[in-house]
Amino acid sequence: MKNIVIVSVLVSLVLIGIIYSYVGDIIGDDMVNILSMLAAVLILGISVGVGLKYVNQMKNDRATGTLADENWDGIGEYKNDLPVGWAVSFIGTIVFFIWYLLAGYPTWAYSQIGEYNEEVKAYNAKFEAKHANISDEELNAMGESIFLVNCAPCHGVTADGMNGKAANLTQRLDAVAVKHAIINGSNNGLVGEGLMMPDRNGLFNMNTGMPISDEEIDVVAEYVANGFTGAKGAEIFAGVCSACHGMDGTGMPYVAPNIRNFTPDLVQAVLQNGKKGAIGQMPSFKTEDLRLTDTQQRAVGTYISNLADQ
Amino acid sequence: MGNQNPLAYDYTVAKLFLFTTVLFGIIGMTVGVLIAFQMAFPELNYLFGEYATFSRLRPIHTNGVAFGFTVSGIFASWYYVGQRVLKVSMAESKFLMTVGKLHFAVYVLTILLAVVTLFMGITTSKEYSELEWPLDLLVVVFWVLWGVSIFGLIGIRRERTLYISIWYYIAAFLAVAMLFLFNNMAVPTAIVSGHGDWFHSVSWYAGTNDALVQWWFGHNAVAFVFTTPIVAMIYYFLPKESGQAVYSYKLSLLSFWGLMFVYLWAGGHHLIYSTVPDWMQTMGSVFSVVLILPSWGSAINMLLTMKGEWQQLQTNPLIKFMVLGSTFYMLSTLEGPIQAIKSVNALAHFTDWIPGHVHDGTLGWVGFMVIAAMYHMTPRLFKKELYSKSLMETQFWLQTTGIVLYFSSMWIAGITQGMMWRATDEFGNLSYSFIDTVVVLHPYYTIRAIGGLLYLVGIFIWAYNLYKTIKVGRDLSDKEINVNASPMSAN
Amino acid sequence: MFHWLEQRPFFFAVGVFLTVSFAGLIEILPNFAEQARPTVGTKPYSGLELAGRHVYIEDSCNACHSQLIRPFKNETDRYGMYSLSGEYAYDRPFLWGSKRTGPDLMRVGNYRTTDWHENHMFEPTSVVPGSIMPAYKHMFSKVADLETAYAEMVTVNKVFNVPYNQPITMKDGSTETVKLAETFDEARADMLAEAKLIAADMKNQDVKDAVERGEIPQIVALIAYLNSLK
Ligand code: HEC
Ligand code: HEC
Ligand code: HEC
Ligand code: HEM
Ligand code: HEM
Ligand SMILES: [Ca+2]
Ligand SMILES: [Ca+2]
Ligand SMILES: [Cu+2]
Repeated sequence: MKNIVIVSVLVSLVLIGIIYSYVGDIIGDDMVNILSMLAAVLILGISVGVGLKYVNQMKNDRATGTLADENWDGIGEYKNDLPVGWAVSFIGTIVFFIWYLLAGYPTWAYSQIGEYNEEVKAYNAKFEAKHANISDEELNAMGESIFLVNCAPCHGVTADGMNGKAANLTQRLDAVAVKHAIINGSNNGLVGEGLMMPDRNGLFNMNTGMPISDEEIDVVAEYVANGFTGAKGAEIFAGVCSACHGMDGTGMPYVAPNIRNFTPDLVQAVLQNGKKGAIGQMPSFKTEDLRLTDTQQRAVGTYISNLADQ
Repeated sequence: MGNQNPLAYDYTVAKLFLFTTVLFGIIGMTVGVLIAFQMAFPELNYLFGEYATFSRLRPIHTNGVAFGFTVSGIFASWYYVGQRVLKVSMAESKFLMTVGKLHFAVYVLTILLAVVTLFMGITTSKEYSELEWPLDLLVVVFWVLWGVSIFGLIGIRRERTLYISIWYYIAAFLAVAMLFLFNNMAVPTAIVSGHGDWFHSVSWYAGTNDALVQWWFGHNAVAFVFTTPIVAMIYYFLPKESGQAVYSYKLSLLSFWGLMFVYLWAGGHHLIYSTVPDWMQTMGSVFSVVLILPSWGSAINMLLTMKGEWQQLQTNPLIKFMVLGSTFYMLSTLEGPIQAIKSVNALAHFTDWIPGHVHDGTLGWVGFMVIAAMYHMTPRLFKKELYSKSLMETQFWLQTTGIVLYFSSMWIAGITQGMMWRATDEFGNLSYSFIDTVVVLHPYYTIRAIGGLLYLVGIFIWAYNLYKTIKVGRDLSDKEINVNASPMSAN
Repeated sequence: MFHWLEQRPFFFAVGVFLTVSFAGLIEILPNFAEQARPTVGTKPYSGLELAGRHVYIEDSCNACHSQLIRPFKNETDRYGMYSLSGEYAYDRPFLWGSKRTGPDLMRVGNYRTTDWHENHMFEPTSVVPGSIMPAYKHMFSKVADLETAYAEMVTVNKVFNVPYNQPITMKDGSTETVKLAETFDEARADMLAEAKLIAADMKNQDVKDAVERGEIPQIVALIAYLNSLK
């Protein structure tokens, strides 16, 4: 018997201990976390405690009382009164019932959506107070955790695109993507609604006056993908692309995007509109879908822009 | 009290259901152990092509243990306890005998078809109501047959007053009938359109309404399959096995009617923070808390019945199963209500803490009671001495360890998962991606699977012990059978 | 009184029945009308989406995935706008689930795409290392049951007045119509047209070939369904 007590208490303590060691540091001031830990303690504590109380009675007490007249297949029945603890607890739960309905979650006043709005408001106020003038380093740190939660499922935790399943974000563009854009044009809203890049039939080489050729496409794609290196590519780029993307490929506002580096604006444009290209579809993270706020989009944009630099 | 066995009870149907209890227990729990291992080691999903993925097997596990193992156990106990506390033999009525056998036949047919169709992926997806309409009709048939058996036997009873167990069997029968009918209302699409699979149907209710009906059903399927009939069993088998009188009629009475009134209101606790109206969710929470005491009432009544009988607890493994069973009943009926409180449910819902709660109840309470009931019945059904007491002891300790491993690992997993989903970093952004919260659970999924395996080994020991009892157990005389404690061989 | 009841099984049973029916009458029935109204922008499922929904149910994805976003900031951050009752107006059965072994999918169409699903359903760990979700390779060869999907469209249209072939107001004020064909052959052709758009974004050649032949593998229907979850 002693052993059972010791083992039960030990198991309970160990259990709570393990839970705590795991989550102790993320409990924080989240009321739900605190109440849940408390709940676990109460469930175990009360069950083990009350169980032991009856074990004690099994050991040290005797059942007595007046037997009823009836019996069924030899089973008799005492006319004992209700156990006091039980009756009192029953009334206790009814008191809780009334409290919960009248004060805890009054049926005429409580709304879970209202509760949600409060939660969001409190978060926003706290964020404003703490990070009103958020620095670039902070944005970068913030962006990293946003990236890991929202983007890593496609781009991988290292942002390398997981063997071509999504864009490799450690590099602005690879040759395949560039070729795809040249051959098919591009219309992903990167620099604004309706501003698109023509397909190969609309791309002329100023130097030759001819539409861009297959060979030129290959060369210029390699040029862009390799970080703008190579004399032949530079020539073609100057002839075909620089009118819109600028001589160095860093783009021009409202004309064409930066195809040399990621910039927060570019990433934010991708997040707002999604993007369809050589690999497939990048989903949009529109602000109104609630998943990323503008600040969060800017943060992840900063993070990605810095990634490629390294 | 002296003359306990004036009648030759006819246990034909009880025996049949005893076999299916063991059989479906083995199948259902083997699948349970497999899916538990799949969550720790996903490679195990590919043992039999598309047919053995976690998602195909999970409904087979839940249906197998609930409607195979548990319901068989309930029926077996009914065909045993019913006769004895009503003091009437099945042999006295040809009609009831036929009904009983038909009941068994339709039941077995239904369960076999259920296994086949679930493997094929034929399911409505509503939890614990997965079977498609043709099978639902079969369920209605065997349920009605059970009702005929209950009320038929009551109709010819000699014991004027209904014993407590009978109250609970009646309640189980009526409530499940009502809930089942409502929740399974569906329109067969082939009949309306003339196209497509003939067995496919579409639910009468849509969206939030469907959820409301589903959990009004689902919660009370727990109440009236995993609770009331099991309470019926403990009210018979524990006093009978121990020879003690039930501690308090008043407590039985209040617990019963309290349970009847309160249970049905509590279904809303499965829908907290969902799109059902706030007030219904609140009702689900508060009634769940009030439900603690009617639930504990039965358990306490049974524990008090054992007052002063500690030495029985030490020497008789059957009593051990039942006493620990009612303690686990207390644990899960305290855990459930606390998880029903909104701020706790906000964390617990959708996490592994819920399967933890589920198996406190099903392994510790339902499983142990069914095991004990079948152990108690077997010597009386077959006039054989139980084959091995020491095996029973081994089984008890293995399974108890299994349950502790199961629930402790799922508590840790659930609370960890719940907190990680909620956790935010210094900027208020989510700290963990979903997969982070999956990967950390691996050790706990492994421990749970091992716990489940221990429990399953216990089930095999149980099956073996019963088999050996029937095959080679020492024959018992009528006198030896009419004792309280089940005759068992010490080896 | 109770002892009296305990000697009269009929009245006892009636008493039990009344006691247990009470809650259902008060809690459930009164709310049916209110709950059933679709929100603006909620459309019935198209044939292919419905076929995909059947695949989702056949393989019990709901065993691991919920489709219910609770109104907590951590959930709206992870999954998007919390769920509204009317968004489920055409969900028969509802698929909220009760366990999140995997993430919520209520709005997965907003942030996952055809090509991602293709990779993920074929081999989850290829995109999410450490995933414990089973691979569903059989869906790439097994053909979806279009006729049963059509049967369901006809049924819900006839029996529950689900508004096919009627203009439905979207959030931006425009209207859209979901077509329910007169005959199954016509419906099949519609579904195939829808499937071709999805197959075009996929890489698996067997799937593309099958769609060219006029067969729709389950994966295509499933992706149509997943993409519709917004
Ligand atoms: C007429 C102007 C114009 C010319 C000439 C032009 N581009 Fe573009 N380019 C654009 C615009 C506008 C976009 C952004 C389209 C969008 O939003 O998707 C773009 C996008 C791109 C992209 C896609 C960037 C991304 O992240 O997906 C690549 C790659 C690209 N251009 C490369 C080139 C190359 C190489 C050339 C020369 C061979 C070239 N462009 C010529 C206007 C031009
Ligand atoms: C469902 C998968 C998926 C998710 C989630 C996702 N992406 Fe992408 N993303 C892609 C794919 C696929 C592409 C490549 C599109 C293409 O073919 O050009 C891409 C492309 C991009 C690009 C453009 C790269 C380029 O050079 O053109 C950026 C920037 C980007 N993703 C950023 C993000 C960020 C930031 C997040 C998270 C907030 C994110 N992505 C989440 C799949 C995803
Ligand atoms: C054994 C549990 C399990 C089953 C069954 C399961 N999934 Fe998953 N699912 C997961 C887990 C865990 C994840 C998270 C890891 C990952 O993305 O693979 C996930 C992720 C997903 C995602 C990505 C969602 C997101 O936001 O990243 C989709 C979509 C999905 N599952 C669809 C399905 C479909 C469709 C089925 C049924 C055919 C299914 N799942 C069956 C466990 C499961
Ligand atoms: C007072 C009694 C009980 C109450 C108030 C209660 C309450 C609850 C709650 C709040 C949940 C979780 C809902 C969620 O968030 O998903 C739950 C789930 C569950 N409980 Fe209980 N519980 C009780 C007793 C029991 C018992 C005794 C058993 C079994 C023997 C049991 C079996 C289950 C099952 C199977 C589920 C899972 C349902 C699902 O599939 O989601 N419960 N219960
Ligand atoms: C050998 C013992 C058992 C093992 C290893 C086991 C394992 C499991 C597993 C792994 C799940 C799925 C949990 C999830 O999806 O996260 C589950 C669910 C379930 N099991 Fe068991 N099980 C066992 C015995 C039983 C028994 C005896 C019963 C009933 C009498 C039972 C009833 C259930 C129910 C109702 C669910 C669904 C829970 C929910 O939806 O929340 N199990 N079980
Ligand atoms: Ca059904
Ligand atoms: Ca469940
Ligand atoms: Cu419940």
